[in-house]
Amino acid sequence: MFFRKRSAAPPPVNHSLLIDVQHLSKIYHEGRENEVRALDDISLSVPWGQFLCILGQSGSGKSTLMNILGCLDIPTYGIYRLGGQAVNEMRPSTLSGIRNREIGFIFQGFNLIPALTALENVELPLIYRGMPKSQRRALSIAALEQVGLAHRLHHRPSEMSGGQQQRVAIARAVAAKPPIIMADEPTGNLDSASGREIMEQLATLNRAGTSIILITHDNHLAEMAQRIVTIQDGRIISDRRGKGGLL
Amino acid sequence: MNWLQTIRMALKSISNNKVRSFLTMLGIIIGVGAVISLVASIQGMATLTRLQYEAMGTNKITISGWGLKQADWYKLEDTLSIDMKERVKGWSPQSSYYDWQSKGVQYRSKILSNETNTRIYFGNQDYSTVTNMSIVSGRDISTTDCAYASRVCIIGEAVRKYFFGAMSPLGQHIRIGGKSFEIIGVYAGKYGGKLNSGDQLIVLPYTLQPLMMNISPFDSRTYIVQARTKDDIQPIVDYITNTFQPLAGDNGYFYCESDAQWQEQAQASSNQLALLGGGVAAISLLVGGIGIMNIMLVSVTERTREIGIRMAIGARRRDIIGQFLVESAAVSCCGGILGIALGCFGSAVIGNLLIAQQTSNMSGYMPDIEHFTVLPSPPLVIGAFLFSALLGIIFGLYPANKAAKLQPVDALRTQ
Repeated sequence: MFFRKRSAAPPPVNHSLLIDVQHLSKIYHEGRENEVRALDDISLSVPWGQFLCILGQSGSGKSTLMNILGCLDIPTYGIYRLGGQAVNEMRPSTLSGIRNREIGFIFQGFNLIPALTALENVELPLIYRGMPKSQRRALSIAALEQVGLAHRLHHRPSEMSGGQQQRVAIARAVAAKPPIIMADEPTGNLDSASGREIMEQLATLNRAGTSIILITHDNHLAEMAQRIVTIQDGRIISDRRGKGGLL
Repeated sequence: MNWLQTIRMALKSISNNKVRSFLTMLGIIIGVGAVISLVASIQGMATLTRLQYEAMGTNKITISGWGLKQADWYKLEDTLSIDMKERVKGWSPQSSYYDWQSKGVQYRSKILSNETNTRIYFGNQDYSTVTNMSIVSGRDISTTDCAYASRVCIIGEAVRKYFFGAMSPLGQHIRIGGKSFEIIGVYAGKYGGKLNSGDQLIVLPYTLQPLMMNISPFDSRTYIVQARTKDDIQPIVDYITNTFQPLAGDNGYFYCESDAQWQEQAQASSNQLALLGGGVAAISLLVGGIGIMNIMLVSVTERTREIGIRMAIGARRRDIIGQFLVESAAVSCCGGILGIALGCFGSAVIGNLLIAQQTSNMSGYMPDIEHFTVLPSPPLVIGAFLFSALLGIIFGLYPANKAAKLQPVDALRTQ
């Protein structure tokens, strides 16, 4: 089982699907004059191991979708099943557990904790997981070596370039080898060379079996994915195949 | 996530904001310091009072009366030495010699003039015991001395120093009121052996009283009684009062009192004072606690994004609560420790000032207090520390809860 069961999941459940979203909506200020439909009746299925790109202009609702898929936010309406489990019914602590163990996040703004060194940042999720020190240290160092930052273990985010910071964030996301990586505009704040490097690393992870959900507004970048879902005004307007791991 | 990790993270965040953390702690430091130094000083004063009482003899009862017949006084003496033998450790009449001023106390050509105050007492063989004086050389007044009204005396340390210096006073004769007395013993100094202190005294057998002054059977009389234990005090007081007070008649008076009562009252009032002072100082501790809450709230707002990041990578609500609680508890505990240091220092300073004042007020009757320093008692220190830790937790609860209630996505969106 993917998650520890809290209650019997409602049938029918397709366990071969990583993500199963049905009629999902996120509405802010519902019923008032300033009502905003960030997501409007989205249905989406993603199988395990897919490299999916959610493509959309800013304001299209793609980040809202990722926040919901990443268990950072809750939908207003609709059902979201992750690995067969209904996320809507989960308690906050269970959601924390999912974010901790199953999902690695890579954000546009890196989202590293400034007061901590690269190594400590990478270790943090493993600390929350309750992993013993020697094990988490070994994993974290391995992850930082993998992204080519073995020489920057004890530097703080402010002492590193943007590309390096994003690589620390990748190391943090992948250190515990989660089955899913969610990346929200991971190259948005980087120059093209650093961006390409990051994308290479995502592709490598995907080849090793990790499901990847990439959020971007960049058509060119989106072509790297196996599947491209385009969002506009909170609705899916197209769902097509990408080139799949080739730039 | 274990507690050790949480504590390590908290200390890290405190050391990242050194000045702010110190300023936050300042409230606690001052609060704990004030509580400790106030309470410790008051307790020190109480101890001092107790020491003063103890220097004058423990378990002491004073009987004083006027208007009783000679036979009644004999009956009192018999009661003390026979009927209440089990409860009474010793008793002695006590009276002072009033007439010494005219001639002073003389040894050969040396005069202890009336500029300094020599106290001359009449007592029996128990007098030294009941007044808690100890003979350092020579011997005490004996029953024989009393029975035969021997012209002997015991001198205090101040008198010995004044007249004899390095010479042995034993066997020497001094003149009091023109009459000559042999020195048979010397009391150990209790008040530093200085002139004008309790050490400037001379004790004569009480049977010499008629020799020294005109006494009438109707004069008031005083007895000092020492009970064997604390528990014996009240039965003695009750029995003596009940038996002899009616004998004083309407024109006389009689009382029998123990200074244990005074001591208890003094103790009780100093306890109240300590409670009051500690309470007032605790208010400043409370203000310090509010300061912690304020800063923790600022810290939560300031670190909303960090909280969001932590939540995004898997921190549960209780991890976030734990982090902020431990942080505020750590701040207040550090403040508590520094406050204890300040309190120890403060109580030593205030305590010494109070002792100096007390000594000058009680000139000559303060017992030697060279080794007396006012220090907070361990329960006080531990209590203050635990209280400051508790404050940190209580005032950290609200900010910590506020932090934990944030939605991860909202927290992440904050810039």
